[in-house]
Amino acid sequence: MSAATKMQSRSPIARPSRLSIAALAVAALVMAAPLFWTLLLSLKPNAELMRGTQTAFSPPYTLQNYSDILGHSAVFGWLLNSTIVSLGVTLGVLVLSSLAGYGFARLRFPGRDAIFVIVLFGLAIPEQSVIIARHQMFSALHLHNSYGGLIFPGLAAPFGVFLMTQYFRAIPKELEEAAWLDGASRFRTFWRILIPLSLPAQATLGIFTFLSTWNDYWWPLISATNSDMYTLTVGVASSQMNFAQTNGLGFLMAQAVFASVPILIVYVIFQRYIVAGVSRAAT
Amino acid sequence: MMKGMLALAALLGSLFAATGCAPKPEGPIVIVLQRFFGACDAEYGSSTNVAKAEGECGIVTTLINKFNAENKDVHVKVNIVYWPGYDQLSAELAAGDPPDLVTMHQSVISDYSQRRLIEPLDAGLASVGVDPGSFTRAARAGVTRAGRVYALPFDNWAMLWHINMNLFRAAGLVRDGRPILPHSPEELLAQARQFRRATGKPYLIQSMVNEPSAYARNLFTYLMQQNSDFFSDPRHIRLRAPEARRILVLFKEIYDEDLTTKNQDYTAATSAFLNGQGGVYLVGTWMIGSYEQASKQPGSPLANGYDVEPYPELYPGRDVTYADGHSWVVPAAKRSPEKLRAIFRLLRFLKDNDFEWSRTGHLPAYTAVIESTRWRALPHRAEIAKLVDTAQPLPPRVQRQFLIQQILSEEMESAITGQKPIEAALADAQRRVNDVLFNLL
Repeated sequence: MSAATKMQSRSPIARPSRLSIAALAVAALVMAAPLFWTLLLSLKPNAELMRGTQTAFSPPYTLQNYSDILGHSAVFGWLLNSTIVSLGVTLGVLVLSSLAGYGFARLRFPGRDAIFVIVLFGLAIPEQSVIIARHQMFSALHLHNSYGGLIFPGLAAPFGVFLMTQYFRAIPKELEEAAWLDGASRFRTFWRILIPLSLPAQATLGIFTFLSTWNDYWWPLISATNSDMYTLTVGVASSQMNFAQTNGLGFLMAQAVFASVPILIVYVIFQRYIVAGVSRAAT
Repeated sequence: MMKGMLALAALLGSLFAATGCAPKPEGPIVIVLQRFFGACDAEYGSSTNVAKAEGECGIVTTLINKFNAENKDVHVKVNIVYWPGYDQLSAELAAGDPPDLVTMHQSVISDYSQRRLIEPLDAGLASVGVDPGSFTRAARAGVTRAGRVYALPFDNWAMLWHINMNLFRAAGLVRDGRPILPHSPEELLAQARQFRRATGKPYLIQSMVNEPSAYARNLFTYLMQQNSDFFSDPRHIRLRAPEARRILVLFKEIYDEDLTTKNQDYTAATSAFLNGQGGVYLVGTWMIGSYEQASKQPGSPLANGYDVEPYPELYPGRDVTYADGHSWVVPAAKRSPEKLRAIFRLLRFLKDNDFEWSRTGHLPAYTAVIESTRWRALPHRAEIAKLVDTAQPLPPRVQRQFLIQQILSEEMESAITGQKPIEAALADAQRRVNDVLFNLL
């Protein structure tokens, strides 16, 4: 086999073998099966599922579970709350992480490296260890049951600062220096040169922040205790009846589908960035 | 992009302002009622017809709707929480912003009353004519701490023997239309073996996997039946005793001889009984309605063959069943006299409608309802009525009962399924529970 042929066979566009396609298909099926199962159960009457989930494979099917969810007057308020909180946290994290990342990557100031290490320590501290102190602090500030109470804790994002710092460090300094020679201020250089160049990192950070905030349950559970301020995760949990896994399984599954639809939409729209972000993080 | 971000920031800023600075409108007194039992607005959101409502959620929703409709000077704002909601309540109390009225299990009241986080209600209830003497014995024990009433009882519930009479008939365990129940551990084993031989099915259906409480409830009942003083001191449990050992030996024998279903969680066990996979399902009062409904469906394994009984007395001590119950508490907070009056009016209303709530399957908390012909006319209520006298909670000053049940269930599961010797499981259970109680403030 010639060297050229060898290279061709290793190239990324080489046609995959039938075996690898079959393996991928099986893996995809295994991963998708719980999702299809959830969807199927969500379309069944609760009383039938109580007798046994094997009834899911045969009619009758119904949209009653979805209509019960939409019939709850508060559900759209919870959707709005989740959207506001997720967008608020995402926007805040992007702004603060970009500014901090630029500072750590480009500015020289006393204690910079020590502060950066302290920020990195934040990656190792689990939320559980600070939750009581945080709850008391927010109580003292009367921030519970407010958008501020739900958004502010998410703004402390050590991972975002780390990611943006590393990204800014990788951008050649010559680009900034050229802008300075043309008379641009430091902020203008940051805003016009570095921010556009860091858009892939911003997209990655933004998407992951949005997803984790949307799915967050614990902090909203103890901070947003007024049902008007529930996020979608807390709201759908609250609407479950006792023993819902038994006598309301279809409704429970419909809730799971309903709560994941907005995330699915985000994923479909930003799929390219998410995949790129994951592969970038892996390398 | 820049403009879009600025516009979004402006929108968020205005929303913060809106949530914090909205003027309070004049109007009726607002009572914030926090409860579990789920949401069912789609079906009952605007209904005030309590008599037509079904299930816990339907009945409590229509009750509140009715109160709001009949009391224009008061508005009850309902805050529904995920069962059981105590994390949220604790967070609200820590933040100094608790609701006005909260559903609470009677077994949990001590956790809050001993730290003065809920108000004693004696005077308030008296002001609206609610006499604790009207509570059933079990309900009164459930809501009274150190001689003071800390909650309005809503119901009591206990574990029951839900029986598939069709299988019992096939096993020859029916006499004069009534199920033949055991009166000793030996009789239980003999009847279970007879049942297995005749039907090829296990006698018991039990939720045994991921089960946080059923094992413990069985243990409490059978310890009480032996007059065991396992909580003589509310801060120490005594399980390294022959009484506890006897119970574990019995349940292990049942398990080892395949006289029970195995490896089923609550959902699987519930549907196993519906599908006729065993004779007796050990589960609470709340399932009566569902199984009664199934017994009316032709073709169902329970068709014309469902009965329910309190736990039979297996030990020659006394006829008793461990019980808990739902109740309404008022978290400690500063409230105006007008608001307090409104809260107690609502409590009186809930008390007056206890019959409607008892249609859920739970036992009424008031003697008058239990003695009423309309309650006894409900399906199977006559069979379980004796629980009024035999239902008994744990000693009132025992705290952390939910956690204790979980620990006991874990250790009992280990012993019954053979993962741990019985003596070791009892020792571990005793040590773990006492650790929890020792560390209480």
